[in-house]
Amino acid sequence: MKKAILFILTVLMSFQFLSANSNTEAASDGNVSIEMWTKEGDADGTLQWTMALIEQFMAENPTITVEVVKKTTVDELREDFQTASLAGETPDLLWTVSDHAGPFLTADLIQSVDGLVDLSKFVETVTTAEGSWAVPMSSGNHLMLIYNKDLIQTPPTTTDELIAMGTELTTDDMYGLVYNQTEPFWFVPWLGGFNGKVFAADGVTPTLNTKEMVNALQFVSDLKNKYAIVPQECDYNAADTLFKEGKAAMIINGDWSLGDYEKLFGDKLGVTRIPMVSATKKWPAPYTAGIYLMVPKDIDAAKAKAAAKLIEFFTSKDVQYSQVNDFNRLPGLKAAYDAPKIKESSILKGSSYQLEVGTPMPTVLEMRAVWDGIKPELAQVLAGNISPADAAELMQESAVAGIAAQQ
Amino acid sequence: MSFEIVAKSLSQIGITLALILIAFGIVEAVIFLVYNKVLKAGDKALTGMLLAPAVIGLFLLIVIPLIYELVLSFSNMNLHHFKDPSFGITYFFDNIKRVFTTKILKKMTFWPLLFQTVLWTAIQVTFHVVLGLMLALILNSKIRFKELYKGILILPWAMPPVISGLTWRGEFHSEYGFFNIILRRLFGDAAAIPWMTDGFWNFVAMNITNIWMGVPFMMVICLGALQGVPSEYYEAAAMDGAGKGTRLFQITIPLIKPVLAPSVMLGIIWTFNNFNVPYFINQFMLETSDILVTALYRAAFTYNQYGFAAAFALVIFFILFGISIIYMKKTGALKAVGD
Amino acid sequence: MKKNSTPLIQQDTLIESIIKQIVMIVFSVVTIFPILRIISVSLRPGDRLLSTSLRIIPLDATWDNYITLISNGKFFLWIWNSAIITLITAVIGLSIAAFSAYAVSRWKFRGRSALLLFLLGTQMIPAAMLIIPLFIIATKLSLVNTYSGIILAYSVQAVPFSIWILKGYYDTIPRSLEEAAEIDGAPKMYIFFKIILPLTLPALAVAFLFNFMSSWNEFMLASIMLRKSTMHPWTLGLRDLQGQYQTAWGQYSAGSVLISIPVVFLFYKSSRFLVSGLTMGSVKE
Repeated sequence: MKKAILFILTVLMSFQFLSANSNTEAASDGNVSIEMWTKEGDADGTLQWTMALIEQFMAENPTITVEVVKKTTVDELREDFQTASLAGETPDLLWTVSDHAGPFLTADLIQSVDGLVDLSKFVETVTTAEGSWAVPMSSGNHLMLIYNKDLIQTPPTTTDELIAMGTELTTDDMYGLVYNQTEPFWFVPWLGGFNGKVFAADGVTPTLNTKEMVNALQFVSDLKNKYAIVPQECDYNAADTLFKEGKAAMIINGDWSLGDYEKLFGDKLGVTRIPMVSATKKWPAPYTAGIYLMVPKDIDAAKAKAAAKLIEFFTSKDVQYSQVNDFNRLPGLKAAYDAPKIKESSILKGSSYQLEVGTPMPTVLEMRAVWDGIKPELAQVLAGNISPADAAELMQESAVAGIAAQQ
Repeated sequence: MSFEIVAKSLSQIGITLALILIAFGIVEAVIFLVYNKVLKAGDKALTGMLLAPAVIGLFLLIVIPLIYELVLSFSNMNLHHFKDPSFGITYFFDNIKRVFTTKILKKMTFWPLLFQTVLWTAIQVTFHVVLGLMLALILNSKIRFKELYKGILILPWAMPPVISGLTWRGEFHSEYGFFNIILRRLFGDAAAIPWMTDGFWNFVAMNITNIWMGVPFMMVICLGALQGVPSEYYEAAAMDGAGKGTRLFQITIPLIKPVLAPSVMLGIIWTFNNFNVPYFINQFMLETSDILVTALYRAAFTYNQYGFAAAFALVIFFILFGISIIYMKKTGALKAVGD
Repeated sequence: MKKNSTPLIQQDTLIESIIKQIVMIVFSVVTIFPILRIISVSLRPGDRLLSTSLRIIPLDATWDNYITLISNGKFFLWIWNSAIITLITAVIGLSIAAFSAYAVSRWKFRGRSALLLFLLGTQMIPAAMLIIPLFIIATKLSLVNTYSGIILAYSVQAVPFSIWILKGYYDTIPRSLEEAAEIDGAPKMYIFFKIILPLTLPALAVAFLFNFMSSWNEFMLASIMLRKSTMHPWTLGLRDLQGQYQTAWGQYSAGSVLISIPVVFLFYKSSRFLVSGLTMGSVKE
């Protein structure tokens, strides 16, 4: 038996030796190979753009090879990164959404970027007492009101106007407004419009069972059930398709969709703020975040250096400009706000106009439980199965239970 | 796809295969020598040599991961204790206690989840067996276009589950899914069913999907079993004037039961642990559509309660193991293990 | 009543035949409809996945999605990766299982029942739970991003079920066959390869098919083990077409259609074994 064990070990070691040849990247000749995970996708062209940037970067830095790994969803990126960290086989750079900073910081998986770049040159980032944890690639990632100028000339500025115009526009095969109704991210702006917040002042205690929440729930339910200006059940794809087909006059969607819509509608595309809530005289407050670059902890020095170089390249003025021009994303680098398109394009003006009333998305771990608490109950309210008051109570209970489970 | 990539992958795999062969060659030689020289039981050497590759492989890639999970269940590992979890027997009892006493995810506790899982398994296996048997009975009789029907009916089994899962989810779309389009056309807008947001309908949706996916397997099993029934039995019964119904319940079913029993058990195990369908059809994470394994997945990967999830996994495993043992005792399928 | 050798059960009245045909037609339509819908989406222009039209062939049908998918060059790479991983997995898994199942079927040894129970038990492990530890093992052995790593993991995972099927089938082969050959002085392994294995063909085919299908369709473990996009099997490749919110549905469906064709073909080729290979083992004399 001893021999057998000894033997297995030998075999395993030979495997190690075999694969060592192909896997040891930090070779002595100064060449470094790094792996970057990204959340960008094919469908809107951002992945292709990222890949082209990488090619350019590698041409400028012949000693650095970058392997890009695309993750289908942001959740998959988070889950796989945590698993990879557990095994100590992490990528060297993450290109992801800002809210991942919460779980990654809690688990101590990312390193401070203070030493890598001069953060004063960037828009606000994730900062704790210990330091800053991500470099903003873009800012925004926020929802806004997007409309088709063929169908409405002037967009509504208040919810009363929205309902009036919506009722007029909605016919058998046309909707006044479409949006991803059941996704909490699309609900949060309305909550803000009704003066509500998901967390108390401490930033971690959920406050979902409030009068503001009930009002906001009642409002979205009315949009669907009372005024019927939105479709009966509408997810992202349905909303997107209806709007693209000209079967919806307005859509609430994020800045990531602007590139696509601009190609399709050109001058006919209008962008502005989500209409002010008439009852409170307050603008709805979509979450603002952005795409952030994070550096995993415990990667070796040579790789960290290469990753820093890549970050520098991504946040260079040229790349930031290209991001603005090709995808209508607002830059993470302050200096890039002088890009001509930001001043000239009505689309970007509308997007920035909305951004002014946005709220930074909380990046704490507890946010997960809040999202998951809202989602099913929101769907139930829209379906007319439970009252907003009951839903608010259930959301709170569920979020509290979710947070307790994480402790 | 370039030649270079092909060559690279082939050489990598070639080397692996060669290494595996050499490794097992040595393992086999060692076992042979150990049996002959050390144990002085040469006649048993062959058994050991035949089993060695499987035993080593299973040990390395199943048993060790299981031990890892077991160890994890003795810890408090979660995102707050990600790199520095503590281990101890108290954590184990704590984790197990939590499985049974607190909410697994947000609302549901263990028992309703178990009930949902059992209900799901019972519905699925019943439909699979009944429909599979019915189709097999027809296919086993003399009908026209038999091969064509067989070819079509087996298709869901051949389709990759990832693809059929997403397709079915699309068919339950409230606006563009097949069901609601038909319902709207026939009965107007009010007839549309909220497949994705309503707990009950979502459960129905995942059941429909999985019935579609699972019937072909049982149909093939039943067909094989039916073909094993000698026709003399029927002739004798027909002589006695037994009707078709009597023949089915008195002769066919008792005769194919021993063949079906192990397959039904596999069906139970696979359905109980079916992750893909309940997970993908449940787009809005309704807990009413969760079964134990999807709750487990969320506990581990969404809420990152690694220690708790490991303990939960153990509980699920033992429940399923218990159900299987009882089932095997009742049906006599346990003999397959014994003899 | 005519008396002939045809079993009586096969004689249906006209009504019965009609009912049977109706049942068959209904079930065939239900079976094939979702598949036709995938084809339909794959033929739609642009990203127009969503449509309330029920036409299978859209009026403006186009091959664009197929052309785009194939011309991006990665599609064949995915198929190649999947094919090579799956085939080698099936071969390794099947060889391991064929030997062990023979031993389990023919000889009593200590721990045999425990082994069989363990094999059954492996089917009850929630699959998601093995991902993290398997990945850690792969990291320790430097097998991340190698074909070898994923092949080894898949091969072993398929072994228990294969042993189960093969053992049942070996059990039905009378021992007298081997005993006769042994008297003639043939070595045990010679008997196994020359006499037993050829008889087991249907069960081998079924086990091969199961091995093939489970690794052909797997993506959870692959997504963490095979990170390099040049190593992606089709499951991950198609996922690459999906995004957080937007998905290239047309191409996705076109890919699904193309990928399903070889598997469906394989099923038909082996379907004559399926029926006997799966059930023969359970029939005990």
